[in-house]
Parts: sequence; structure tokens; C-alpha cells
Amino acid sequence: MHEVERRLPDVLPRLRRFAHGLTRSPADADDLVQAAAERMLRARDQWQVGSNFEAWAYRILRNLWIDTTRATRRRDAPLAPEEQGLAVGMDGGAESRVELSYLMRALARLPDEQREAVALVMIEGLSYADAAGVLDIPMGTLTSRLVRGRQALLAMMEA
Amino acid sequence: MADSVDEAMIIAWVDGELDDATAARVAARAAAEPALRELAERHRAMKARFAAAFDPLARSAQTVSSPTSPAPAPIISLAAVRAERAAAAAPSGTARRGWWGVGGAIAASLIVGVVIGHNSRVPVGLGDRTDALALAAPIGGALDRQLSGEAGPIRVNLSFRAQDGRLCRRFTGQHVAGVACRGPSAWQLRYAVPVTHAVTDYRMAGDDDATAQVVDAMIAGEPLDRAAEEAARRGGWR
Repeated sequence: MHEVERRLPDVLPRLRRFAHGLTRSPADADDLVQAAAERMLRARDQWQVGSNFEAWAYRILRNLWIDTTRATRRRDAPLAPEEQGLAVGMDGGAESRVELSYLMRALARLPDEQREAVALVMIEGLSYADAAGVLDIPMGTLTSRLVRGRQALLAMMEA
Repeated sequence: MADSVDEAMIIAWVDGELDDATAARVAARAAAEPALRELAERHRAMKARFAAAFDPLARSAQTVSSPTSPAPAPIISLAAVRAERAAAAAPSGTARRGWWGVGGAIAASLIVGVVIGHNSRVPVGLGDRTDALALAAPIGGALDRQLSGEAGPIRVNLSFRAQDGRLCRRFTGQHVAGVACRGPSAWQLRYAVPVTHAVTDYRMAGDDDATAQVVDAMIAGEPLDRAAEEAARRGGWR
């Protein structure tokens, strides 16, 4: 079995979480992961054995997101903190889906370059250096987009 | 300038990106200045809030494929469910694809249940009759009578309106869990998963991912709140 095939199932959960940080809906996220997995298998000879597999996977998914989903984004969906009140009377499963949906919509209101920085660092937990590497930008650029994105989120969610 | 601690530095401190000397300096400043301390706390809290909601997504595939759960049943038509959903939404240029096209290992690590679409073949073990998926007591009774969250041998988790207009409810029994939708004469099973020790542990971790995906594929809008459930119950779940 090719090394990429062997490692792919282990990275899928993180790719799934990353995709939810980038896309507008869980369905879009799952479609994106599916496409990324297929791309990784087709491009498996392009991964250098011994190099950072997770970074390669994150980069493939992010580039696919740029190619396919960005064109259809909508950033005018209203974000109402009081919608969290819907969780009252529900079981934990529905409550967590409402919360995830709320946070995904908050992220969707960020400009793309801030959103991908926030998703990679604040949600995926990549170091600033690794995130800058995935996005192929200088670390100073990564940091400024990250900070602006999180400032905007803070203001959005506490309004 | 050398002494200033701005928001970027606070965030880097929260992320653990500062070297020890700078981190110590920021910690000392935060200890002395409530405004800085509060800003750091707000960022920490927001980061934790995102982690609580997103981290379960990154845990899902590991726990679903347990060696103690029964062998995964073949997927009958989750693709059909997703296709229904895609058709109901605005059509896009790219065809939507399900999980199941990429390698048996990936599919097997995600699937423990059986999805039953409108026109699919019924699973082996059930009779091939028009009422094969109709739910009698105790599950049907629980779905008729109980509000979500009420304790009992069968617990109903949530109620929602599906995209085909039917009222559906997610339930968890002693041996069977899943999703059923109210038809003209009975509750019709739409998705079922065996309740095993492994699956129960997984759900106690805060996320039954496969069933949540099924609900997400079926749902129109958001789940019913308490008032809407009581009204639906009064109306016989039509």
C-alpha cells in the first residue's frame, strides 16, 4: 500500500475539522474532505516521503477550497447571539449542532485570508510557522491576518 | 515600544507562541493590569469555545470503528438522501459526492448504521413488505407520546421537520437507535444503528457522528423547540 493511502485515514478527522472551519455548512465540509482525499490519492506521488504529511494534506484541502467553494460564499447571513436560546429544551446533540452552526457562520463572515489563518492556528492548533508554511506566506502576514480575524470574531460574538 | 503589550502579543501568549522571557513579561503585565488580563481571558474563552464545538469533529473517525461493534452494514442509500438534499437546494456546477467513494477503509471507519431511503431495498432480516419499516410499540409509542429529553427505556433525542415535509424524531432505545418519520399510519424507520457498548461510549463522549450526519442530511431548518414539539404531539405528528 502506498504511504499516502496508509496515512490518509489518520489525517481525515483533522481535515474534517479544518473543512468545517472554512466552509459554510457541514455538507460543504464533507464534500470538501471527500474531494481532498481523492486529490491526495491521485497526487500521491507528489508527496515526498519523510516530509510533513499533515501540512501537505492541509494545503491540498485549503487549495481545493479556494478553487471550488470560495466562489459561492455568502457573507451576509445574519449572526444573532440570541439564536443560542434555541438550545433550551433540546438534548446535547442538537445543542452542539446549533453551537457549531453559529460558530461556522461567524467564521464565514471573515474575509477568506483571515478565516483560513484562524482555522489553521486557533482551531487546528498549528504553530504560526507551520500555518505560514501551509499558506505559503511570510509569518508576519500570517500573524496580522490571524490577529485581525480573532479581533473581528471577538467583536462579533460579544455584540 | 519595548514595553508595550498589544493585542497581537496577548494572542501569541494565549497560543503559546512567545519565548519564555517574553511570556514571563506579558504574564507580569497581565497580573498588574486588569484590562490586559481581561483581554487575554476573552481570547482564551473564545478559543476554548471553538475547541469545544470543533474538536469532536476531529475525534469522530477514531471511535466509530470499534472492534466490538457489529460489522458495518452496507450503505443502502445515504447517497440518495444526500442527492435528495442537493436537489432541493440550488443546483451547483459541481456534483455532490458522498463519503463512500474513497476506499473501503475510509468508508468502514465512518459507518456503523444502515440508512433507509424512500425507495431502497430493506435490509436482510426484515420482511419485504409495505409495513416492514413501520414501528410499533415500544418505539412507536415512545415517539407518539414522549417529548425530547424525557427519561425512559426509550429516549427521544430531538424532533425536526425533514425536507420532504414529514416530522421526524431521533431516538435511542436499549438495543436500537436511529431516526423515524411519521407517515400516514405509523412511524417509519429511516435510519437504524445497533446500540452496543462501544456505540454508547462514543455517544457519551458527546457526539454520535453517523446519526448526526443523517439528521443533518434530512433536516429542513432547525430542530423543534419545546413549544413546537408540544404542538406537534397534540397534532399527532402530522
